[in-house]
Amino acid sequence: MKIRFMVSVFFVLLLSNAFSAPSDAEDHRGNPQDIFRPPQRIVSLVPAVTEELFLLGMGDSIVGVTVYCQRPPEAQVKEKVGTVIDANVEKIIELSPDLVIASPLSGRRQTRKLQRLAINVEVFDEAVDFKGLCENFLRLSRLVKKEEEGRKVIREAKRDLKSISESLGASSSPRVFVQIGANPLFTAKGESFINDLVERARGINIAKDATNGIFSREEVIERNPDIILIATMGIIAEKEKEVWLRYQEINAVNKGRIFTIDSNRVCSPTPVSFVDTVKELVELFHGEQ
Amino acid sequence: MESSRGNIGWVFLLMAILLAVMLFSLAVGAVEIPIRRIFYLLTENCESPERAILLKVRLPRIFLGLGVGGGLAISGVILQGMLRNPLVEPYTLGISGGAALGVCLNIVLGGSAILGSLSTPLSGFLGALGVIFFVYTISSSRGGMRLSRLLLIGVMVSFMASSLIMLVMALSETRDLHGIIFWIMGSLEEPNPWLIKTALFVSVFGAVISFIYSADLNALSLGEEEAFHLGVRVERMKRIIFVIASVVTGCCVAVSGVIGFIGLVVPHLMRLLVGGDHRILVVASFISGAAFLILCDTVARIIIAPMELPVGVITGLVGGVLFIYALSRKDYSF
Repeated sequence: MKIRFMVSVFFVLLLSNAFSAPSDAEDHRGNPQDIFRPPQRIVSLVPAVTEELFLLGMGDSIVGVTVYCQRPPEAQVKEKVGTVIDANVEKIIELSPDLVIASPLSGRRQTRKLQRLAINVEVFDEAVDFKGLCENFLRLSRLVKKEEEGRKVIREAKRDLKSISESLGASSSPRVFVQIGANPLFTAKGESFINDLVERARGINIAKDATNGIFSREEVIERNPDIILIATMGIIAEKEKEVWLRYQEINAVNKGRIFTIDSNRVCSPTPVSFVDTVKELVELFHGEQ
Repeated sequence: MESSRGNIGWVFLLMAILLAVMLFSLAVGAVEIPIRRIFYLLTENCESPERAILLKVRLPRIFLGLGVGGGLAISGVILQGMLRNPLVEPYTLGISGGAALGVCLNIVLGGSAILGSLSTPLSGFLGALGVIFFVYTISSSRGGMRLSRLLLIGVMVSFMASSLIMLVMALSETRDLHGIIFWIMGSLEEPNPWLIKTALFVSVFGAVISFIYSADLNALSLGEEEAFHLGVRVERMKRIIFVIASVVTGCCVAVSGVIGFIGLVVPHLMRLLVGGDHRILVVASFISGAAFLILCDTVARIIIAPMELPVGVITGLVGGVLFIYALSRKDYSF
């Protein structure tokens, strides 16, 4: 009997707790933010966004970045609030920002906590191609009231890409395999920046049809790429190169066309660095042979 | 039961330690707030980022630590007491595996699109309930619940769950993978105050029920038949203990993820300290489980600030070292 009584008390209390629960509203005081004034104190939890803010001339308004925000060099002296995937809520609150920019990789618990504390958090979805990159960049430039500057950067980037494409003329397209991870062998599938980079540099990504990034070495040998690109993972890149050298059957190995590229730049680009990387790839794909 | 009075003294000491740990946890963090200023901030009603840090970042974590740490510790105590096996912990019966599987499926299938932020704890709790129901049904027969069978089936279910989790992880996208791994590692950072209140409430409730049954658990330590002759309704008691331990564990895991080691190490440490009398053991374990988790979480927060370690790293290391040390100092048998 005692137990039954207690169980019913428990549920009554639990329910009463549930009905009084949704107290989000009280936390949202709603900052009376001036819609014409650009944000003055920005925390960026995305390395590419940090770089883009500097591009837009908003570097001085950044008050906090992640430990991975290394570019441009000015970003390195900004206050660190954690990593891309694990931001420190306390640190961010202390900086009292008027805009926090997060990505889907940022811890969800953290971003929700910040939102509950009435801090303006904008989550930027990861772009997978140049088009998405430009959309994100434009959204960012609108947020910081620099739409004109943003449009200008994009216009220039598009113009550069167009002239690259024209300069390539009718040159033949090499078949490319891009390795972005080892053990398991990991590559870039069709829906990714890397695929877009390779295609804009007039290359064919042999793993375009892969459903997820894991790719077998057998498959690489079978598809026989003309070029192997290894995104640098520190020392591993050299080691991986040695592994490939065992497979002389592959065109790329046979002709010595195994290259390394900076993984930071290919995986989290800005419109500007995207164009730079395309130029670099064009050099590798179609340069002197 | 050599010196009950001395043991009650232990309970007061542990209570004092818990309070001290809570204050310490409130006072330290990535942002430095001087102690004197903390008292000012707590008593004066003013708007400042520091006050928000204290009341809305640190305090909720402390309360969740109280609920989860205490809940896991008492689940461990009563399960060890009932199964009379020193290796049992709340996760042994597959509850954490079921919860983790539920959360994995939720992340991969995109449940948050429909249910929002509550989908994760909800799916975790449903996974845990599924396992509890399965284990309970399979291990009960007409003659009642067979404990050795319960234990073995629980262990098998955990293994099956972890295989299925690996399967889900192998098939999922990189982005989801990161969510799954972080959830499994466990964290006391929970933005929803309602979930924190619920977890705290359920574990306090579980502690009260456990306390009511602590005398019966003492009788059971002599053996099932002996307990029956002492007037304990053994079958009913076994069922209630199992359900209470499971629901408390399920709630804790659903809210905070799989934080390991507390349910195993705290009950043993407390047996070393206050002896085998469950009437005191249950209370002592709840208090010290809470203090232990809050302390570990605080260490995890500050040790490499502004970054944070998974709290499980600290509970495992500190708990293991503490336990081995205590064991080597004192003659202990379960």
